[in-house]
Parts: sequence; structure tokens; C-alpha cells
Amino acid sequence: MDNTLIELKNVSKTYSTAAGDFTALKNINLKVNAGEFVGIIGKSGAGKSTLLNMINGVDQLTNGEVIVRDGGENISVHEMSEDGRALWRGRKMGVVYQSFQLLPMLTLIENITLPLDLSDNFKPRESKARAMQLLQLVELEEHANKLPAFISGGQQQRVAIARALANDPSILVADEPTGSLDSITADHILDVFEHLVSDQGKTIIMVTHDTSLAVRFTRNLRITDGELEHEGDSDESKKVDKTMRRRRK
Amino acid sequence: MRPRWIKVFHDLWDNKARTLLVVFSIAVGVFSIGVIAGAYQIISNDMSISYAANQPANVELRTVGFNQDVLGSIQNTHGVLDAEARRVFNMRVRVAGTEKWTTLDMVAFEDFEANTVNLLTALQGDVIPKKREVVLERDALNHVDVQVGNVLEFQLQDGSTKTMPVVGVVQDTAMGAGDFLASPYAYVSMSSLQYLRQPELFNRAYVTVETGGDDIRHIRVIGADLKDKLEKNGTRVIRTRFSETYEHPLASTVNAILGILMALGILIVFLSSSLIANTLSALLNQHLRHIGVIKLVGGRKRQIFEMYLVLIMSFAALALLITVPLGGQGAYGLALFISSELNFNVLGYRIVPMALLIQVAVGLMVPLIAGLSPVISGSRITVLRALSGDLTGDESQPQGQQQTRVSWLDRMLIRLTRILASRGIHFPRPFIISLRNTFRRRGRLILTLFTLTMGGAIFIAVFNVRATLHAYIGSIGKYFVADVTLDFDQPYRLREIEQMVMQVNGVVGMEGWQFVSGELLDVNGEVLENINIFGPPADSVLIEPLLVKGRWIHADDVRKLALSEAAYGYFPNIEPGDQVTLKIDGREEDWEVIGIFKFVDREGVLAYAPYEYISQMNNLANRSYSFRLITENHERSYQNAKAEELDKFFRERGFKVRVAQAGRATLDTAVESLDTLVVFLLIMAILTAVVGAMGLTGTMGMNVLERTREIGITRAIGADDRAVMSMVISEGLVIGAISFVLAIILSIPFTYLLSTIVSLAVFETPIDVIYTFMGYVIWFGLVLVLSVVASILPARNAARLTIREVLAYE
Ligand SMILES: Nc1ncnc2c1ncn2[C@@H]1O[C@H](COP(=O)(O)OP(=O)(O)OP(=O)(O)O)[C@@H](O)[C@H]1O
Ligand SMILES: [Mg+2]
Repeated sequence: MDNTLIELKNVSKTYSTAAGDFTALKNINLKVNAGEFVGIIGKSGAGKSTLLNMINGVDQLTNGEVIVRDGGENISVHEMSEDGRALWRGRKMGVVYQSFQLLPMLTLIENITLPLDLSDNFKPRESKARAMQLLQLVELEEHANKLPAFISGGQQQRVAIARALANDPSILVADEPTGSLDSITADHILDVFEHLVSDQGKTIIMVTHDTSLAVRFTRNLRITDGELEHEGDSDESKKVDKTMRRRRK
Repeated sequence: MRPRWIKVFHDLWDNKARTLLVVFSIAVGVFSIGVIAGAYQIISNDMSISYAANQPANVELRTVGFNQDVLGSIQNTHGVLDAEARRVFNMRVRVAGTEKWTTLDMVAFEDFEANTVNLLTALQGDVIPKKREVVLERDALNHVDVQVGNVLEFQLQDGSTKTMPVVGVVQDTAMGAGDFLASPYAYVSMSSLQYLRQPELFNRAYVTVETGGDDIRHIRVIGADLKDKLEKNGTRVIRTRFSETYEHPLASTVNAILGILMALGILIVFLSSSLIANTLSALLNQHLRHIGVIKLVGGRKRQIFEMYLVLIMSFAALALLITVPLGGQGAYGLALFISSELNFNVLGYRIVPMALLIQVAVGLMVPLIAGLSPVISGSRITVLRALSGDLTGDESQPQGQQQTRVSWLDRMLIRLTRILASRGIHFPRPFIISLRNTFRRRGRLILTLFTLTMGGAIFIAVFNVRATLHAYIGSIGKYFVADVTLDFDQPYRLREIEQMVMQVNGVVGMEGWQFVSGELLDVNGEVLENINIFGPPADSVLIEPLLVKGRWIHADDVRKLALSEAAYGYFPNIEPGDQVTLKIDGREEDWEVIGIFKFVDREGVLAYAPYEYISQMNNLANRSYSFRLITENHERSYQNAKAEELDKFFRERGFKVRVAQAGRATLDTAVESLDTLVVFLLIMAILTAVVGAMGLTGTMGMNVLERTREIGITRAIGADDRAVMSMVISEGLVIGAISFVLAIILSIPFTYLLSTIVSLAVFETPIDVIYTFMGYVIWFGLVLVLSVVASILPARNAARLTIREVLAYE
């Protein structure tokens, strides 16, 4: 059964700089199935962020194609216009980055309802209820009306995750979401992710340079100098098994 | 509320300094345009309506005495609708029991109730004076400290006084219109004339025409007919004046002045829009990250465009909230001021829809246009570049260029400082840093310099224009060099007066002048304009003409005259040697033009011919009505004292003195009214300077904000508050100093332009431009102060930043 949700075909990315061309991604081929929690691990400068930005359509690719299955449809991300990608991303793909990316003048609840507003799904009462529910998920409901500056970095990152889930996308992509957090806080974030995968059936692709996190993913991919080497590949049953084992509480 | 609008609201509300800056930038421009447009509308409408409402005379005839019969024949002349006759004479008055004399033009009416031409408007008290009562024109109250019910003393020819109570105040919008140098008016009934020892005869006729009240040529024709008729009757006409019913005589001057103010207003709008553009593009730069986040979570171009459009429109709405009521008030205030200066009435406070519309349009369009480009580029930016926070991320071409340029500049600076250092001149470190900072944001620097330079150039130019106008009035003054003018009601022999005046202490010289008036005719014998020919002695030392062409008068000139430039209005190609046809005492004569000189003609064309010839023409050889005296000292106060003394001296000896006046009196009044104009120009100049200063404040604020991190690092490596502050302030000073240098250059064309426009409006001739140091010195001081003031707030903010805050800044 083809359960592929995201497929990268021969994706390359070349940056042209004053110093000459630099190829950050070389012929990447990758399939991600629904329900996977994929970890992309690599050293600094390996091309992790670049790869992620190909998947979420934040950056333009030089070659190849990124296809994302939506319902019965296959969507080629890079064939859409910038606006089309923005709307699609807002509705179908949650994005979390290392720096917290909250709007500083909006309260947590307003930050979370922002994607609903932008994708024209905003209904005052329901949206607020939805935001509260997401804040509960990340255990921050008592801070709902605070400004981002008045909560900690880890808390801010959890709000960013809640915001990424506002439109209930089936895919979440995260670039070093734990990068600036201490290990306990980072653990907490990963707990939230695992919960989303196992309990809500989300598909998550997460980028990290921290090899010690490898054990938390259902699948690990290693990227070096823009090239992907598949690692820890295993059959479907083993993966599911692993997921079950990792689940705590 | 939707979260995106909450963000817009916070953008508006949280950074109040920035909001105020933008709102005020918009408001300044809108306000100046609104005030001037409103005043223009009110004045252009009300000036003619209020003037026409009082049935202004189309023809005014100044004559020797005439009676009721002559008036009857005027009324019966073809084309005449109505005519009234009055006696106008001047008298010196003072409040009973005080010292200071004031000259009033006394106007005697036959019948106040039958007043149909040059209507009086009742303002206060009883406005129909009975025998031995007087009513004052409201302007007289500015000159004589008197109230209704008080008694005034009137000085008779022989120096004795008569008293009359002031019973009322009226406004006379028609009589003095067009002549803001005229004495204030007082009104009495003909029945009081005997008491004031005046003959019971009229000497002025005020005539309205039946049709064609708006056709100055037709009015002139009727005027010439009337003059002919009167002179055939033996009533000599001294002077005629023509005016249209619906055209206030000063309308074109006022419109021209408002036009100049409008031009400056438009300039202010331009400057403020560059300020707005500056601020908005900085705002969008600061908001790149926000835009990135919004795009990341699904925001599209149009949504971002709308958000920032709403933000800009909110700035505009706030500005309009301030300026619409304020602009309306200001417009009315300006109209009221001008109307009271020129003695007409505005029809009451009202909102001028046109001005309101202009304000709203300018208030909405200017920020829209200024903000459009930053908002469009802000909404079009890709997520990736927006997220990376600044434009340095990738293929940003202009950025690369700018960097190379800065490093080139840096190298120059380093070399310069090295060279200076090798000669023992050391610049403080912060100064060098500021200098480098100043050039970092080139676009912003250029806009800031532009605003500040324009403000400065206009400021300096206004001072130059003032000097130019004063110099011109000064040179016009060369036509009135006499220290005291002594006019009599009958001619006296020159010899006799000379012997008398030399007895008065301080008088060193005297000339007798004569005067003749006529009309200038065109080739078909139609009246073009009045002409007044002065006859000073050919060797007069009391006149230094500014000749444009030809020569000045000679003693043996016969039927030759020097004409003022106003003649070009009728004969554009006139040259010395040409003949002009004049009508004098009913006779047509050809005169030769010998020269053309500069002068401000307010009524008719002025000309000069030698006393030697004019006195023969007038059959008054060696005699004169009018004498010009030279005193030892030429100060105005000395002239006043001597005029007073001479007046008394001659009256006591039985001479029929009409008036003795300080020579500078007329000139000073002219200077005063020009200074009113200069004050308006200066207000506009200060407004532009304020816009410039706001621009600098904004720029400094943005520079500091963008350099928060850098300032934090400077502090981390040991710079104290003072060092940080002086770094920011020296940057402001550098900008101020550069703008000063540029303003010096720009002020030259500005001075030229402004002087030319003003002199064309006021004097109807271009005049030579004079430059004065004053404007440069004042602006230099002002721009330094403004630069420091504009940088203090941002500098304090910069100094207040703690390292922690700086590092937390994203
Ligand atoms: N806009 C750009 N222009 C030129 N080169 C770029 C650009 N963005 C990234 N690169 C280069 O591409 C390579 C991959 O960058 P990328 O940001 O994907 O690395 P990364 O694996 O995410 O590293 P890190 O762990 O430090 O975030 C790096 O060598 C980087 O220098
Ligand atoms: Mg990265």
C-alpha cells in the first residue's frame, strides 16, 4: 500500500553567491509516509535547514520536485506561486523554527489564532476555543493572555508548536525546535511531538544536529554536505514497535 | 477582533513616538495647505462680495468745490446710475485733554440717510451724526485712543480748536479700499462744516455706473465724460479714480500673496511626504521579521498589503482628526486677519467644503503615495528574506553596492583622520564613528538632508527677501527724501516760505513742488489711465530716481516727462523719445517721454516734469501749494517733532496749513505692511524648518533603533552614557552641518525666485535681489540647535539601553 505523504524527487539547491555557486543540496530523493516522525540529523552547514525549506516551500529549489499528498491530490509545492504556497502552508503544514517567531505584540492566544485568521478560517468564538485547546495540549492555558516576552523560551517554543497546529495540519516540520533549549525543556517538546504522532496521527519532520535525539524518531536520516544517507532504516513493524516503546506516560 | 487587526492596532499604539512623528508629519503639510486653501476661498469670495455689498463707487472725482447743482448734472449724465457728493478734508484731532495729534480724513455728508454709494455699515452707537457730532471709521480707533461718548478736539487752520463728541462707529469698506496708506476717516454732517470753518461745498463725487460695473474700460470712459462735463462747468477735477464693482482694488495683490503662501504650503507637503516615506520605509524594515512570520503561517501579499495600508490610513485619519478642525479655524483666522488689515468683512465662520476636500485628499493621498513603495516591497518580500530579518540574506544587489561605497567612504575617512592626526589634529573617536554611521543609510540620509536643506534654504531666502523688499522700499524712499512735507490750502510764494522756514531751528533747505493731473490717452483718444505729474525743481536734491531708460528732467524741458514703469502696462514698447498723448484740463497734448523710472504705482501712472515748466502751466510761477523741507537730522522722531513745530509756526502766522508731515511717514507705513507679508513668509519658513527637524528626529530615532545591537556592544566594551550620547548627537550635528552648507547654495535660487514672485505681486515689477547675512547666521544657529534637540531624545534612548536589553532585542 502506498502510504507516501511527502516525496522529494531529485531535489537540488544551488546558492549563487559573490564567491561563486554553492550546492547545498545534491539530488535528494526522499519519501515520508503518513504517521512517521522523521529526524534529519546533520552537522552545522550540512544542509538541514535548506532541505526543510524545500519541503515547506519557504525557499525555491533549483532542480527536482517536492510533492505532498493532500486528500486524494498530489500537490507539487514548487509549482505554486509564493502566495499559493503561503496559503497552502498556512492550512496544511505547521512550521516551527529554532527562534520562536511569535509576534511580540500579540498575546499567546492571539498568536495562535493568527494562522486561522490568515487562512480565512477565523470565527471569533470557535477560534478562541481552538486556541485554548491547543494551549492546554502544550500545558500553557494559564498564560493565554500574556505577551510572548513574559514567558520563558521553552514556553514560547511550545506556543509556536500550538500555533503550527492551529489549522489542524497533518504535517508538521520543525527546524531545530529544541536548539536553544536546555535538555529537560527539549525533552518536553519532544514529548509533545511524540504525542502528536502517536495520538493524533500527525506526520512530523524534524531537523536537529543533536545525535542523541536519534532514539526519539521513528526514522533517522543523516545529511552530510547536502547528501542524504538513509540510516536506521527498518521495516514498518519494527518502527511502529519502536514508537510504542518510546511512548511514555 | 481578528489578530491581524490587533497587530495593526498595536503597531499604531505601542510606539507612540513614531506614531506621533508620522501623524505630525502628515498634519503639518495638511494644515498648511488647508489654512491657505481655506483662507483663499474665503477671501476670494468674501472680499468682492463684501466690497460690492456696499455699492462701491466706480468713479471717484476729486475736485475743487462744487455745489448741489453740479451734483445734479453729474447724476443726469448718461450712463450714471447714482452719484453722491461729499466734502473730504483733513484735520488734526486729539482726545480732549491729551497731547498727541492724529490726522483724520474728515468726510462731510449732505444726508446720511440718503447714502446709496460707498455705504457705511453701522457698528456702534448713533451712526448719523447731528450738527457738531462726529462718527469714526473703525480703523480710526486704532490710531486715536477714543470711545463712543468721548470728546475730540479738532484743530482749525488758525491753530484754535473746536470740540465734538464721538457718537458712533461705522465701517467704510469702499472709501479706503486700495489705499492702505490713507488716513483713517471721520464723518460729520454738512451742517457742521461752518463750525469747522470749512466752505459748505463738495469736493468729491462718488459715482456708480448704470451698466458695465465690471468693465474698467467702460468705467474710464464714463469717468472721462464726467470730467469733461465738470471742467466745462468750471469745476476743476484734480484727480479721478476708477474701480470695478465686484473687484476689490487689492484683490490681485492679496491673491498673489496667497499664491506664494500656497506654493510654500505645497512645498511643505512635499517635504513632509519625504519624511513620511522615510519613516514608513524604516517601519517596514523593522517589521520584516513580522512579515516573515505572517507569511510563514499563511499570510499572503494582499493581506500584508492591507494590514500596512490600514496602518498608514490610520496615521492619515489621526492626522486629519487634528488638522481638519484646526485647519478650518486657521483658515478663518488668516482670512479674518487679512480682512481686518484691508478693511473688508468676511461673511462669518464657515467650513469651506473645497478646503476640507483638499485637506482630506492631501491627508490621505500623501501618506498613501509616500508609503506605497515600502508597503508594496514589504508585502512582496519572500518569506526567507523576511525571516532572515534584513535584506542582506541573498541576491540583494543594491545592498552589495552600498557596502562597497561605504567601505570606500570609510577608507577616505580613515585616510583623512590619519592625515589630520599626523598634523596633530585628533578627532574624538565617537565623532569618527558617527561620521561613518551618517553615511551608512544613504537613501535615508538623502531624504533627511533634503528636508532640512529645503527648510533652511527657505528660511534663509525669506530673510533675503525681507532685505530685498526693504532695500527696494529704501530706494523708493529716494523719491521722498524730504524730511518734512508742508502742504497749504492756497499757493504761497517760494521766497516767502523760504524766508519763514529758515527761521525755524534745524531746517536747512526747502523746495517748492507742483503737481498736475490728467489722463493718459491711447492712439484713438480713449482714456487709458490717470496720470499724475509731479513737478520738482529740475535740480531737486530731494529725489534720486531709479532710471531704467533715458534721462531725468531738465529745467528747460517743455512738455517732456519721465514716466514710471507702469507705463509699460499700456505701451509695452515705449522708449525715450516717443510721444504720449495726455489730456490735461480738457486739452489733449502730446508730451515727449525722456526717461522711464522704477516706482510703485498704486493709483494711475506717475510722471515727473520740471517745476520750471509745470508752474508755468499752472500759472503759478514762483509759487506753490506744496513744500519739501530738509532738516539737520533725518530720524523719524526728529522729523515728527519738526513737522509739529512747523505746523504750529505757520498756523500762528496765519498761513493756511493743510498738513505738515514727517517725510518718512508714508514709507514707514509701507514698510509695516510689507513686514506683515514677511511675517507670513517667515511662519511658512519656520514650518518647513519644523518639518526638517522632525525629519532629523525621525532619522536619528531610526538610526539608533537599527543600531541597538551595535550600541550595546559599544557599551559592553566600555563606552559610558556620555560617550553613547555624544556619538548620537555628533551624528545629528554632522547632518545639520551638511544641510547648512547645502542650504547656503540652495538659498540663492530660492531667494531669487521668491523675491521675484513677491515683488511682481506687490510692486508689479521685478526688483534687484539683496542678500543679507542675517538669515545665514540665524539659520546656522537654529540648525545646530535643532540638530542637537532632534538627537537628544534618540541619544537618551540609546544611552538608556542596557546590555541585557540590547542582546534581547530581536
Ligand atoms: N542564502 C544562502 N546563500 C548562500 N549559501 C547558503 C545560504 N543559505 C545556506 N547556505 C549554505 O548552504 C549550506 C547549508 O546551509 P543550512 O542552513 O541548510 O545548514 P544547516 O544544516 O541548517 O546548518 P545549521 O545546523 O548551522 O543550521 C551551508 O554551507 C550554508 O553556508
Ligand atoms: Mg539550520
